[in-house]
Amino acid sequence: MGSFVLRKVGAALIVLFLSSILVFLGVRALPGDPAIALGGENRDPAVLAQIRHEYGLDKPVPVQYAHWIGHALRGDLGTDSRGLSVAHTIVVKLPITLELASLSVLLGVLIGIPVGIISAVRRGKLSDYTSTTTALVALSVPHFWLGLMMILVFAVNLHWLPAGDYVSVAHPFQNLRHMLMPAVVLGTGLAAVLARQMRSAMLESLGADYIRTARAKGLSEWSVVCRHALRNSLITVTTVIGLQLGALISGAVITEAIFSIAGFGRLTVESIQQRDYALIQGIVLVAASGYVIVNLGVDLAYSLLNPRIRVAGTRT
Amino acid sequence: MSYVELATITPRARRRRLLRKRFLRRPLAVAGLIVALAFAVLAVFANQIAPYSYQTTDFNAILVHHSSKHLLGTDPLGHDIWSQIIFGARASMEAGVLSTLLALTIAVPIGLVAGYYRGWIDPVIARITDVLLAFPFLILAVGLAAILGASLRNAILALGIGAVPGLIRIARGEALALREEDYVRAAIANGARDTTILFRHILPNMASTLIVQATVTIPLAIIGEAVLSFLGLGVQPPATSWGVQLSAAQDYLTEAPRLAVYPGVAIVIASLSFNLLGDGLRDVLDPRTQR
Repeated sequence: MGSFVLRKVGAALIVLFLSSILVFLGVRALPGDPAIALGGENRDPAVLAQIRHEYGLDKPVPVQYAHWIGHALRGDLGTDSRGLSVAHTIVVKLPITLELASLSVLLGVLIGIPVGIISAVRRGKLSDYTSTTTALVALSVPHFWLGLMMILVFAVNLHWLPAGDYVSVAHPFQNLRHMLMPAVVLGTGLAAVLARQMRSAMLESLGADYIRTARAKGLSEWSVVCRHALRNSLITVTTVIGLQLGALISGAVITEAIFSIAGFGRLTVESIQQRDYALIQGIVLVAASGYVIVNLGVDLAYSLLNPRIRVAGTRT
Repeated sequence: MSYVELATITPRARRRRLLRKRFLRRPLAVAGLIVALAFAVLAVFANQIAPYSYQTTDFNAILVHHSSKHLLGTDPLGHDIWSQIIFGARASMEAGVLSTLLALTIAVPIGLVAGYYRGWIDPVIARITDVLLAFPFLILAVGLAAILGASLRNAILALGIGAVPGLIRIARGEALALREEDYVRAAIANGARDTTILFRHILPNMASTLIVQATVTIPLAIIGEAVLSFLGLGVQPPATSWGVQLSAAQDYLTEAPRLAVYPGVAIVIASLSFNLLGDGLRDVLDPRTQR
């Protein structure tokens, strides 16, 4: 078990290291001179050289990378073009997106998993066809269009819900009213993916030998489905949620744009539009690290729950 | 059908006939195929089918409702919406099909090599795939558009690259499983060259999995193109696409909501048709999911 954890953590560290290099080089590949962006109106070569020197832009690229990653590891992501701390900006914006993402995952799980179970248990029946087809339709609807349509119906026509903006969690009721539509928009795709994965995982479990044994023992159908099949299927589906994190972040970018929520996603788009090097680097580094760390956690939890993988340990 | 006729059918032809029969028994998959083909026809013959060019402006008919002259009405610039939708299909199909082909071309050889040779190359490729997966697709695409500039071609590049890591994993998994098959072992024992084994034995046998994957990657790319164009990172006006149309419709959400409805419905129908087709093909080609 120890060596398995070490190997997984080692692989995650390598991925984090390579990602940080990719982030660093990717930002360097953006067109436009950061010194000119920082200098604003001032295009005097002497001033630009001074700025380059101040920000270390005149040093060799590996030295710049070492300097940047060294500070990043201590929680210092530098300052953006307005002189604000990048780490601070991210810390302010991130909770908004985390709230949106958590609500969406909650909705996705609450809808997707029961639908997947019912669909598998009632395989081939009308309820199975209805739910699989609905899931497929949900997968085919683009987030942002669903958002526009919901604004049109619930905000513009019915005036039931606000069309956007973020209200702090200090006002829980107003906060939820504002978050409801964005969370539904972001959660629909996840619910559809989870329903499909849950259905196929359940079908596989229900066909396994231990289920036949459980039935042969005379256990009730309820007990067979919930105690035996469901437990094994949930383990598989947990990893799917981890892998969906990337899609969730992408979805947050566009959902926040539609509902004008000033979170991490909006910050991403704005930082790229403004060519704010330090900010882009910080954001992408945080997003990629978050993805790697969450998936490492899921992998470790998965192996704890599933002894076969712990022993064999070669699942890649 | 006589016995004589049956006896002359090769096993391959018999399998094909069986698969066709299984496919035709799935009405939703057949519907998906027909609609997907219809969109392909719209895309290829947009010039012939559309009543107007996407750039034609009719200043006597601005923001009009549907009429005999304008099937779905017009937008604030007097563009015929039905024609815009047809030309939008062209951008969407291009993005869907070309980016999927690009992703397959990059991912399949890499996955084949990783799964077949294993050794040191396999973990190296696995880590690189992990790194690519760690970057949320949209951030990758936004970044690429910022580096390369916003255009349909660059959106296709970004969408293709975004689909690569997933496809590498699938191709690798298939190659890993297929190399243990008896016929591959037999070929190895017979001293066949690696290229022969890879291209004559392994690749053809993973074709059905790849076809299914390609079919379900296309709708992701269609939606991806719409997202990028909506954010102003894909197709640039005056050229049109469903994403561009939705982006323009945002300003008229209260006055003319239909402007936002039609392109969205087009996206949903187009991606749903490919998803239905993909699900049907998976059922037909993969014996494990037989009902």
